[in-house]
Amino acid sequence: MKFTLDNIDGHLVGIAELEGRLDASNSKPLQKIMPEWLEKTPFLVFDCSRLDFIDSSGLGAIVGCLRKAIDNKGDLRLSELNGKVAMVFELTKATRLFSIFTNRGEAVASFAAGADPGSAK
Amino acid sequence: MKTILALREAECAWVRDAFPCVHPLLLPICNKPFIEFLIDFAILVGSPAVRILGDGELDAVERYCENGSRWGIDISYANMQTGDSVETMLGKNRRFCDKERVMMVSGFSFVRYDKRRDYKSLAGSMPEGEWVAGPGGSITLFGAPEKPEAQAADAPLSLMALDGMASYYRASMEALETGADRYVLPGYGGEPGCAIGRNVVMSKSVEIRKPVSIGNNVQLLGDAIIGPSAIIGSNVIIDRESTVESSIVFDNTYIGEQLEVIGRIASGNRLSDPVSGVAVTMEDPHLLSGIRKSEALGALPRKIVHALGALILIVLLAVPFLVVSTLLRLGGGWRSATGDYLSGKSGETISLGKVEPDAANALDTIASTLSLDRYPWLFRVLTAELALIGSTPLPAETQHPNAPANALAYRPGVFSYAEAEQWPATGGDAAIVERYHLVHSGPISDIGLVVKAFVNRPHEKTTP
Amino acid sequence: MIITETSANGIVIVALEGRLDALSAPKLRGSPPVADPKTAVVLDLEKVDFMDSSGLGAIVGAAREKGDPACGIVLSCMNNKVRRTFETTNAQRLFHIFDDTSAAVDFAATRQIART
Repeated sequence: MKFTLDNIDGHLVGIAELEGRLDASNSKPLQKIMPEWLEKTPFLVFDCSRLDFIDSSGLGAIVGCLRKAIDNKGDLRLSELNGKVAMVFELTKATRLFSIFTNRGEAVASFAAGADPGSAK
Repeated sequence: MKTILALREAECAWVRDAFPCVHPLLLPICNKPFIEFLIDFAILVGSPAVRILGDGELDAVERYCENGSRWGIDISYANMQTGDSVETMLGKNRRFCDKERVMMVSGFSFVRYDKRRDYKSLAGSMPEGEWVAGPGGSITLFGAPEKPEAQAADAPLSLMALDGMASYYRASMEALETGADRYVLPGYGGEPGCAIGRNVVMSKSVEIRKPVSIGNNVQLLGDAIIGPSAIIGSNVIIDRESTVESSIVFDNTYIGEQLEVIGRIASGNRLSDPVSGVAVTMEDPHLLSGIRKSEALGALPRKIVHALGALILIVLLAVPFLVVSTLLRLGGGWRSATGDYLSGKSGETISLGKVEPDAANALDTIASTLSLDRYPWLFRVLTAELALIGSTPLPAETQHPNAPANALAYRPGVFSYAEAEQWPATGGDAAIVERYHLVHSGPISDIGLVVKAFVNRPHEKTTP
Repeated sequence: MIITETSANGIVIVALEGRLDALSAPKLRGSPPVADPKTAVVLDLEKVDFMDSSGLGAIVGAAREKGDPACGIVLSCMNNKVRRTFETTNAQRLFHIFDDTSAAVDFAATRQIART
């Protein structure tokens, strides 16, 4: 999981790239590393362009991350869900919990002061 | 006029990939296999005989359609080679054609027609040659018109090629929406736009939004929202608080709790988006899974757990049973009636003695508190004839709606899940509870439910 | 099994009657028009009331030895039982199958003319 920081309009936004599969066997590392990221910034973007598969425990882990981000007065936004991953999000109604963007740039920009997070697609 | 239905494997190869469990010709459109729409059309045109011609295996189709007596026509099957010309195809069926007029429907296309119109006169007066053609097939007439001079009213007829998931989805939705007006669709249609099959168990809180089509042996659990535009096959369970809208759910599919299936095709554990063609195979059985008959892998651990549980109960209750039943028998209060009950294996029965402890006295109270009336049944668990907990055994003689022949799951048990949940042990609601647990519970939760049933049963008796 | 050979339109028709099994299969393979790789044969199966895997093997094997496997042996008048035996092994894909012997003869004759 690659993690980079980006500065947008005074906000520090953390971008994590999720890769491969996120399921019961490999969602632990994400939960473990989340507090480290939150120490840097509570404004996070998960770039899912290289995430191929997610199951319900993977989904649970991401929802857990969202909760922690909100607890830290931040937010977790998602970008570039591929067809399969998007379908699982829609099936489980997780799309309603997240702001989801079609590309990483938009997701990061949405944290800019004054940007309306509701404009998510 | 006779009809030849000619279908080539290559035209429907995508079905084999997308829905490996169904033969392409049996692909359900709305709630009926594709081939049946073609057969209906052949009947509408007045064909007494239909020949199904394929270049692959037709075994499954033959098993489904048999000889056509169900439709009052004669159905036969023949093989062709992939590259055969129309002349060769007719030649290969020369005896069938028998110098009569022949209609050849070829291609994997959905035929749009209107059953209220008179296609028989129309086809009889049409000149020889192509009747309609589309990108994926055609309907052609061979031989001289039977009544060339007759003036027949024109009737709508067009073809829609089924060349992939998207067109299949469109055809299904179209068949559902135009529904029983234009096509012959099975199911009890009390009102237009709502066809429901046999043995559908629906919780009271389920919401149905027309148009919908629901197959046989379907369970819709609490607060599920079905429709608009939902096509649900047979042997399907839609779990609590889930929504199925503008979607097709194939036979033998379980849709988990609190899910939203909108604009999708679900078959077993596979969820597809008909527009983009993307398909996900779910690995979480609680989201989406295929339903198999109960003879699954989990059967062995369950049998062991049940046998152990039964053994424990046999040991614990041995002394009370011997004492109480002997005393009751002496007083004439222990009457047992032997009857045949349906076994878990279809077609077989088991005979069980059903004991009704009589008058209310102290001994009877003990007997019913300890479920001693069921004691003899416990030995049947050891011989694997009964489960320790499962469905209420159903009498064999009656045509019960929950009979295993048409039920999703039936596993007769000493105790029933309905008893565990304090539901009245008969009727539709109990059936929901029983089937829910038959699908959901594992060996361990079974033990808990047995304890619950054991504790709850006396209550049920005191509140008639 | 009874094997009757007739000919029509220059094509040999081999009509089989009875059981086509391990016992009778060699007899079919040994029949001269079937064994000759150059002769196109129409195999009339109408009166075959039983066929097992060795019978099927004999027909498939004989077809393989023909110059043109698909047209060397053309099958006609399969009853349902025989057709199902073919379908269980997918052998029907190897043959041109007609429901009428005269149509099979016409087909075989046209093929022969086209080839010469």
